[in-house]
Amino acid sequence: MTVLEEVAAELIGMFVAEKRLTLAVLGVVTVAGCLVNFTDLNPLVGGTVVLLGCVILLIENVWRSARAGAS
Amino acid sequence: MNWSIAAPAVSAASLASIVEVVEAFTIVLAVATLRGWRPAALGTTAGLALLAAIVLLLGPVLNRVPLHSLQLAIGILLLLFGMGWLRKASLRAAGIIPLHDEDAIFAAEAALLDQQARRQQRNVEWVAGITALKAVLLEGLEVVFIVIAVGAGRGLLMPASLGALAACVLVLAAGAMIHRPLSRVPENTLKFGVGVMLSAFGVFWTGEGLGIAWPGQDLALLLFAALFLAAGLVGAALARRSTMEVVQ
Repeated sequence: MTVLEEVAAELIGMFVAEKRLTLAVLGVVTVAGCLVNFTDLNPLVGGTVVLLGCVILLIENVWRSARAGAS
Repeated sequence: MNWSIAAPAVSAASLASIVEVVEAFTIVLAVATLRGWRPAALGTTAGLALLAAIVLLLGPVLNRVPLHSLQLAIGILLLLFGMGWLRKASLRAAGIIPLHDEDAIFAAEAALLDQQARRQQRNVEWVAGITALKAVLLEGLEVVFIVIAVGAGRGLLMPASLGALAACVLVLAAGAMIHRPLSRVPENTLKFGVGVMLSAFGVFWTGEGLGIAWPGQDLALLLFAALFLAAGLVGAALARRSTMEVVQ
């Protein structure tokens, strides 16, 4: 692997630590963006979705990874 | 300067720098021990120069991006990066994945360099220099991202860079004094803390990028950090418990 390939792999790995978590976080942000931009709801509802969504996703992902690793 | 946002930004950059410089130092030390300080120093200097060039090139470019778009893009990247670190630190704290072992990495890197030297009788110094450069560049990329992410858009690029640089000098000075891998640095605890801060920044800037005015403004960061800290600890506790259930 050349140095450039290793740099590219490092850059991708920085943001895609685990595919499911990455996709889920992007999904939560998209939902929050839609709530803020396309509904009449208070924008803070979108903010709460991002905050609590990410917190819940983190706990679920760690728990699921542990079960997969332990079984 | 607004210290409620500058303090966590500089702390995140400094702590991340400690974690990454410790990892890079182990490899540079292996190069120096086996092939001498010349290729190790040259490789390290070249790696640092490349990293500095990336900061100097990207900093002004990012200042031209509209603030909301920049905050949204950086916020999402910080969320992905910070939650990745926090996830890994939680799994390490729970004992699911092994802790970073600098002594083992040093031994593995030394063995690899030895193997490469036997295969290539010439260019041994070149291979050693490239190994040091790669270590500094690859580990430093994460620090550069953090410095740019927490610094851009708020005029904190300079304090965040100085924080990271100070931490780098501190680790290198400690390493030069004890002359062996810095295996006693509590890497996972630092990684956990940085993951918490970056995830909090990620939510904050994603929200600001989406046009959300957080109640309490910058102070909201503290609440976000507390929630991510709790999430990391709860995740680690659940992971530990589920492993014990499977073992039983």
